[in-house]
Amino acid sequence: VLHSARPLHTTQQSLAPLPPLPEKGGEVRYGLIPEEFFQFLYPKTGVTGPYMLGTGLLLYLLSKEIYVINHETVAAACILSVIIYGVKKYGADVAAFADKLNEEKVAKALAVKNEAIKGLETAIEQEKKEQWRVEGRNYLFDAKRNNIAMLLEANYRERLLTVYNEVKKRLDYQVAMQNLKRQKEQDHMIQWVEKSVVQSITPQQQKESIAKCILDLKALSKSAQAAV
Amino acid sequence: MNLSFFDQFASPSLMGIPLILLSLLFPALLLPTPNNRWLTNRLSTLQSWLFLLFTKQLMLPLNKNGHKWSIILTSLMTLLLMINLLGLLPYTFTPTTQLSMNMALAFPLWLATLLTGLRNQPSMSLGHLLPEGTPTPLIPALILIETTSLLIRPLALGVRLTANLTAGHLLIQLISTATIALLPIMPTVSILTMSILLLLTILEVAVAMIQAYVFVLLLSLYLQENI
Repeated sequence: VLHSARPLHTTQQSLAPLPPLPEKGGEVRYGLIPEEFFQFLYPKTGVTGPYMLGTGLLLYLLSKEIYVINHETVAAACILSVIIYGVKKYGADVAAFADKLNEEKVAKALAVKNEAIKGLETAIEQEKKEQWRVEGRNYLFDAKRNNIAMLLEANYRERLLTVYNEVKKRLDYQVAMQNLKRQKEQDHMIQWVEKSVVQSITPQQQKESIAKCILDLKALSKSAQAAV
Repeated sequence: MNLSFFDQFASPSLMGIPLILLSLLFPALLLPTPNNRWLTNRLSTLQSWLFLLFTKQLMLPLNKNGHKWSIILTSLMTLLLMINLLGLLPYTFTPTTQLSMNMALAFPLWLATLLTGLRNQPSMSLGHLLPEGTPTPLIPALILIETTSLLIRPLALGVRLTANLTAGHLLIQLISTATIALLPIMPTVSILTMSILLLLTILEVAVAMIQAYVFVLLLSLYLQENI
């Protein structure tokens, strides 16, 4: 942050190797007279030199009436005391406030930089995670391949079953047809045999058989007693 | 040099060369110019913060058209503030004690607001002449009264600033003369008068800042009505 107080891009010359500006301004005594004046007079007149000069100058101006004491003097005394009181009491606070304003400006810019750095670091971590994920993609592919193979196998077996069922249906049909035909032939034959037997019973045979039955019945009735 | 009470209000001249322009432009020398550094020194930082705060506060009630006036109003405020405050120092000339200067500031600015209003929205500006909810019989009288008050505004603006500052400066002169005159006779009363002078000086500092602010505030108010 040393170089932030330099003017930027004022000329076409590059400002890169210039040293940074001083942090504080020149030292001032009594808010008016720079320290360099006291240092300038120190070798010849010592510490009290400038003060003697000041007092002498003031007395000269007053005694020769170059500066006349009139009502403006006392008004000057009042306004100067008000100003000095104000500066002494609130000067430090105002300076701290100005410094705070500058600090906030710098802090805002630093916050932007830090957030950008944090965002980039998060991105780096996520990228690393993605790279780790890439290493496991073989397993993913194998599982998918197995899946597909199973699906294909299942499909094939289903179709095989369908084919088997269809073929069995046709064969069953043939078997049923043959059974039906034999059954029909059998029935027809039995019917024909019965019909011919019934037709072959002549009337004489009928009478003989009825007489025989009556004789049998009589014989049986003799042996069997009526159950009471 | 011996001074009478009204010498401080005489337009300054050095060997026949009028210095009024110098005394008007001098306050600008005391304000730091904004340069292209990102972090400025304390004075520049405070100055830009103050101007931003003042302009934002002044432009709050104005619509977008009124924001065109932000530069002139803020710079006017700064000029009046610096002139008034510098005039409190001894042996200085305060240009705002001259009625001519204050009228030259107030009259054109007020006229500008009036003409803007009459040109862009004449019925709205004229409508301000009648407050809402007045009983019908009072309307003619009220229109006359409001017109008078409208036309007297520039005079009021100028004279208010002049009178406040002139009166304050005269009072300072009078009371300090009384202090000086009483010093050999009754030193105690002189000390009392000195304390009065101290309080008066604090008042004058406040008045200097307030009058500048009131001038600009009233102008922005007139602008609000008309823009």
